[in-house]
Amino acid sequence: MLSIELLYFVVMVGVFAVSCFRFKLPVGVAMALSAISGCLVAGFGIPIRHLVEGGLNYLNTILVISTAMIFMKVVQYNGMMDTVTRWLIEKYYSKPALLIIGLSFIVVFPGMITGSSTAAVLTGGVLVSPVLIYIGFPKEITAAVVAMAAVFGEAAPPVNVNALIIGGGIDLPYIGFTLPLLLLTIPLIIFTSLFLGKKYLKVFNYEKIKDDLPTSYLSDFGIWLFLPIIILFILMIRETFLPKLFPTLGMPIYFLISALVGLFSGKKFNFLKIAQEAVHDALPVLGILVGVGMFIQVMTLTGVRGYIVINCLSLPAYLLYLGIAVSIPAFGAVSAYGSASVLGVPFALALLESNPVITVAALSQLSALGDLVPPTALAGIFAAQVVGEKNYFKVLKYCLIPAVITAAWSIVVIIFANTLAKILL
Amino acid sequence: MKKNQKIAIYILILTAIVIILSALEFVDQWKSDFIVAGSGVTRMAKLSDYYPELRGKYCDTDIYFLESNEPGGTVFVLGGTHPNEPSGMLSVVLLIENAVVTKGRMIVIQQANLSGYSHNDPQEGSPRKIHFNTPYGRREFRYGSRATNPIHQWPDPDIYINQFGQSLSGSETRNLNRGYPGDPEGNYTEKICYGILEVIKKEECDLSIDLHEASPEYPVINAIVAHERAIDLASIAVLDLQMEDLDYNLEISPPSFRGLTHREWGDYSDTMAILMESANASQGRIRGRTDEALVLTGKDKMYVKAAELGRLYVPYDEKGHPIEERVGRHLTAIGVLVENMSLLFPDETVEYYGIPSYQELLQYGYGNYLQPVK
Repeated sequence: MLSIELLYFVVMVGVFAVSCFRFKLPVGVAMALSAISGCLVAGFGIPIRHLVEGGLNYLNTILVISTAMIFMKVVQYNGMMDTVTRWLIEKYYSKPALLIIGLSFIVVFPGMITGSSTAAVLTGGVLVSPVLIYIGFPKEITAAVVAMAAVFGEAAPPVNVNALIIGGGIDLPYIGFTLPLLLLTIPLIIFTSLFLGKKYLKVFNYEKIKDDLPTSYLSDFGIWLFLPIIILFILMIRETFLPKLFPTLGMPIYFLISALVGLFSGKKFNFLKIAQEAVHDALPVLGILVGVGMFIQVMTLTGVRGYIVINCLSLPAYLLYLGIAVSIPAFGAVSAYGSASVLGVPFALALLESNPVITVAALSQLSALGDLVPPTALAGIFAAQVVGEKNYFKVLKYCLIPAVITAAWSIVVIIFANTLAKILL
Repeated sequence: MKKNQKIAIYILILTAIVIILSALEFVDQWKSDFIVAGSGVTRMAKLSDYYPELRGKYCDTDIYFLESNEPGGTVFVLGGTHPNEPSGMLSVVLLIENAVVTKGRMIVIQQANLSGYSHNDPQEGSPRKIHFNTPYGRREFRYGSRATNPIHQWPDPDIYINQFGQSLSGSETRNLNRGYPGDPEGNYTEKICYGILEVIKKEECDLSIDLHEASPEYPVINAIVAHERAIDLASIAVLDLQMEDLDYNLEISPPSFRGLTHREWGDYSDTMAILMESANASQGRIRGRTDEALVLTGKDKMYVKAAELGRLYVPYDEKGHPIEERVGRHLTAIGVLVENMSLLFPDETVEYYGIPSYQELLQYGYGNYLQPVK
């Protein structure tokens, strides 16, 4: 369907590409310029209110990422990460396959509690990355394992924000999702861990690395060393399971409280310095989020968003499943949660003849995959950052096959939704 | 001065300009809409008169009483639960400015979630205001957000666990139509819910109607959703509305979907609870260009295409669904419901006049029925 909105979209994408690749501007700035160009070409001038309103949409996410990065630095500097790495390897080196599956679940767990792949990477991912690297995993594959596990964590029950967003859009209560979401995630977590790790597990030789393992500070500080992560999990779990105990303080406060606890629970370090370092590291992603917010706002304002949605819905029946499998993760290039809302809801409505709980669960898994798609790629970029890999595309290369299999598995679940509903619900 | 320092100063100046310009618009959105109390309004109250903790808070919305000297029933009409669904509020505005009750009484609130009117939903590209030409000049009303303003309630939890233990998306914690029956110890939005339910209970409202709009791709649209106790009344009303060529789907309030008006008003008070939906393209996900014209006319080529594809639950063509049609549907349905309540329960009779008919609204426009601002 040719339409003036296609021209707006082409201009926006063109300005983004030129700003990013020709003039080497930061991605966030390129997206902001792209949004402004969309407004100009659609006759809205430069609507400052819309740009600011859209840009601030991810304020809470920005605060979460900033504080989570500080937390990550704290547990690096206070000695907890070194201690955990050494302990895990010494304890489980004889069962490497079990070890890597277990490590994946350590990443998955915070995602299950928060519904956020970013939180999963910046907590669980921070813990397990050094272990994988010591085992012998290359940095890129370590980041791929972490990113994939974080994506599955975002989709796994009990908290799946994408399913809540899509369910909210079609007035579907968040009831009965546990088994479908487990079906969508658990087999894939096991498969992906072993698929990405198989080559390195075979050559893993404990004797070779045992003398180079990081220092354990357990004897110096005891259980206190783990206090930051314990406090963080308590605060996260409290919000999910005991919501009325005290008012919601928000994830940023939880990360900050836990980070401050880290000041007194291990090795000494300069908190202000590492906080500055953490925010500095996070700034490019924070900039992307502001740019993405403006971009989506302008897409909506100019009708480009509707144009994309209607074209996805226009696909003939035989291409609909392919369209779902491609478009929902692809829209994650802008925002995974945004994809759940913008595309997940119309697709859920288009699939109302199938069991809605099963289809929404599968659509939510596809939305979570969007966190691997650049330029936003929150799960992927942070996983790369955690292992010190600057080029995210090297990580993405290893995520491709597991991601395609995840998308295919989700579509199979949608196709057999009614049959599965009889078994699972 | 070094080059990078100069650039930093320019960026700071640019940022300051952006902050000032955008702040002026955001602050302007906090200003109240002007509503003219018509000759039928006998008194006004505040939500805080029913739940004093809301006194002085932004959400302390106005309540209008339209009373007669004849005993009868009490009808409660709520608009503005979702400020991005304007036909509800605009319907109530016409009641406030035009209706005269001759038997029983009406209690109406035009902006249930006043906080939601003080901002717009990020990434929705919504217009801030909608305008109408009237015989006395131009009137404007705010077009707001579906949810409470985060400056009044923040932060959202990751998930909102409602009072019945059901999990909802975190942002739903600011959705007025998910927080009933309300909680005096709860969050800002749940307190508003509590206040509204107190109005229904203390004023012993016989029939309570919550006015909404839905996106055209949403199944519950052009619909009346009724609590069990209101289902007979709603069934008869739907038949009567069909006689007037207004098709409505009748839905029974699902017992498992908690926190909504049509469920909790009925469960937690003696009222007959009803929710009504009209078709609003400006809140849908398939819509094209988003502006004031879309809100007022409903004309949208994306929705026309979606209708051709069979993706919608309402007919959609180039004529769109103008605000007059949507307000007209609400007001006609309210009239039919009230009329039938009087037939079914003579002691609860409510009668009123002064409201334009559906056809009159379509013919003369919404602005024609707004009163002069003094």
